[in-house]
Amino acid sequence: MKASGSTGWKGPVKFRMPTAENLVPIRLDIQFEGQRYKDAFTWNPSDPDSEVAVFAKRTVKDLKLPPAFVTQIAQSIQSQLSDFRSYEGQDMYTGEKIIPIKLDLRVNQTLIKDQFLWDLNNFESDPEEFARTLCKDLGVEDPEVGPAVAFAIREQLYEVKTLIAIQNVASARESRLTKKGRRGSDHGSASKASGLSMDLVKLFSFKSSVVRKRKDLDVYEPVVDLLTNEEVDALEAREERHAR
Amino acid sequence: EMEVTDPSWKEAEVELYTIPAQSSWFLWDDIHEIERREFEEFFSESSITRTPKVYKEYRDFIINKYREDTTRRLTFTSIRKFLVGDVNLLRKVFLFLEHWGLINFGSDASLVEVEEKHVAKIEQGNPAGIRVTAAPNSMRPITAPPLVEERAESGLKLPPLTSYSDVFSDLKKPSNDGLVCGHCRERFDSDFYEHHKRVVNICQKCFKNGDYGENNSADDFKLIGNGAAAVWTEEEILLLLESVLKHGDDWELVAQSVSTKSRLDCISKLIELPFGEFLMGSASGRLISSVPTEDENSGHHSSPSHPDGQEHRETEMGEEKEDLVDEDEPLAKRKRVALISDGDTSLMKQVAAMACRVGPSVTTAAAKAAIAALCEEASCPKEFFETDDYTHSAPDRFDSPSPQFADGFASHVAVKTILKLSLFHRADGDKDTDMEEQQQGGKEGPQDLPVALRIRASVATGLGAAAAQAKILADEEEREMEHLAASVIDQQLKKLQSKLKFLDHLELIMDEEERVMDGVKESILQERISVLQYAFRGGITKRWDHTYVK
Repeated sequence: MKASGSTGWKGPVKFRMPTAENLVPIRLDIQFEGQRYKDAFTWNPSDPDSEVAVFAKRTVKDLKLPPAFVTQIAQSIQSQLSDFRSYEGQDMYTGEKIIPIKLDLRVNQTLIKDQFLWDLNNFESDPEEFARTLCKDLGVEDPEVGPAVAFAIREQLYEVKTLIAIQNVASARESRLTKKGRRGSDHGSASKASGLSMDLVKLFSFKSSVVRKRKDLDVYEPVVDLLTNEEVDALEAREERHAR
Repeated sequence: EMEVTDPSWKEAEVELYTIPAQSSWFLWDDIHEIERREFEEFFSESSITRTPKVYKEYRDFIINKYREDTTRRLTFTSIRKFLVGDVNLLRKVFLFLEHWGLINFGSDASLVEVEEKHVAKIEQGNPAGIRVTAAPNSMRPITAPPLVEERAESGLKLPPLTSYSDVFSDLKKPSNDGLVCGHCRERFDSDFYEHHKRVVNICQKCFKNGDYGENNSADDFKLIGNGAAAVWTEEEILLLLESVLKHGDDWELVAQSVSTKSRLDCISKLIELPFGEFLMGSASGRLISSVPTEDENSGHHSSPSHPDGQEHRETEMGEEKEDLVDEDEPLAKRKRVALISDGDTSLMKQVAAMACRVGPSVTTAAAKAAIAALCEEASCPKEFFETDDYTHSAPDRFDSPSPQFADGFASHVAVKTILKLSLFHRADGDKDTDMEEQQQGGKEGPQDLPVALRIRASVATGLGAAAAQAKILADEEEREMEHLAASVIDQQLKKLQSKLKFLDHLELIMDEEERVMDGVKESILQERISVLQYAFRGGITKRWDHTYVK
């Protein structure tokens, strides 16, 4: 099979992460007995489930968390994985679908704001590689930033994908009910079929240029900020307040 | 390979960019097969966002962006904001162009570009200065990151420069002028001890007492005879020059090489020497391109044929040094010093090395002068050379030998010389008796010839050979140059001719147009006339009268 990204309708593919590596974003945020454990990482769904327990145990040991966390962590991971698996049975529409990805995250003292376009069905896409390039080009020193960026991208991709999957299920059901013979994907208008918003369609038309207009440049430009300790503390405090 | 991005007639606007030879397939106006293969998704007409036009726009934009400033390495992140489309695809195009050297050609990918860091935009409240945090090895963040200054490291580390005051400040101090002990402030009676690093000298008394002063130990001091500081022997001067050339500004090493002289002494002696400052200033460079005049050089180059020990050489050097005023002199001096300090190679090698570095005309003159000098010194060598037909005409023959002849000739001469010399015994004999004996004929029994003469003779032949070779090379070079010049002129003429042709053609066209215009003019005139006639016939004259009459 040629690895040429998404080149139009290839036929249905089973649900998976549309990236070079099929890694699922897992987010953990567990509070127990006054302690809070927050984490975000990627998981390979083809790993045996036994690995989850092993991972949970090791994490608790490394971070010296109370042993009650083991089950909590394992449960959380397990449920997210099952979510993912529930979509796996479905067929995916593999045409091109360009979505905007937004980054607005803080990792230790580095703040990153960015926005760019991502083809949801480009199976050659690699969030980790993108994150690595971003950090290298912008001279980001903190090695935790890269993985965080990659995770953020994955998360958004996953979100949109699941949304689409849900939509597909709903519409499939609908079409079956209405017996219009529509397949589980949306053909609709040209823009929908190509997975683009109308603006993008105009941009890619013959007359206009794919060079972005000046007024949009600010939005699509990555911004890296380094905070002082006090600012970090202030932000964290604010985040805590919001969480409650 | 060069690619002209503006292939127009005007010379002014041509810009040249360097791309690797294997990328010469690249054309602005077209998309090459290589590109089509690599980016099938753009050419399969399967999507709105992936068309050849889009690909070309991406590609051209990226390359142009790079060429706005080829000195900086273009990063993907800096251009992706400009282009609409899937960033992964954009990155693929970017990497493709970089791989083929169409962008970032020659930029070292491993260089960390500190300048490329984006300056932070002010987010909230007080602006935070950019701080670079040390990358933590563990996964845990550092709570109090230290401020680390980062500088792009330059590859070249220059030695610390010594300032005038550093080196000479002690000279100003009166205490050292009068040779006063640094510790007990008494004048030195006889020998004193000099500190090898700092300018602190102590007298013998203090040294014995152990009063070295702060932080000094016995090893730091070196015994220096009182009178020793003033007199510089030729050997020392030679050593000094050599070590200055070798070590440059590092006076410690220089002082070490010239073991009997202190650092200060070295420096002051160097300044005293007529060309000393010149040497100091440019001690790092050794050879100069300019060739000193023949006379000087022949005078100088004849001296290497005196190999009787170092002193002899240095005496000569010493003498000649005192004489010089010229600016060219120091250049010749430095050359020679540099060569001599290459030291342990055989004399012949030195001579050969000399011949290589110096221009051919110089070596010719040198050979001539060498032989002349040899002949002048004692008549015996002259006779000796004269007995051999070849060698006598050697200087003249050097002007126009043929290549093979010169080589064979030189070796022939050398062999003959050595044969003749080997028939004579070593050492110094009475010159008169030698002359007589040699006049009888070269092949008679054991005759005494000074070693020096023998060696001189062989050196002279060596020089001769070198000169011959050099002359040949020079001729070749000249021929080459003439040829190239001729071809350049040829090209220019051709250019002129084609331009003239073009202009002629233009002229023709212009003439043609002129003719056409004339024709048009005539026809218009005719029309006018006919209109007027018509008007007259019709009786409309009033208005026209004025213009007509006029």
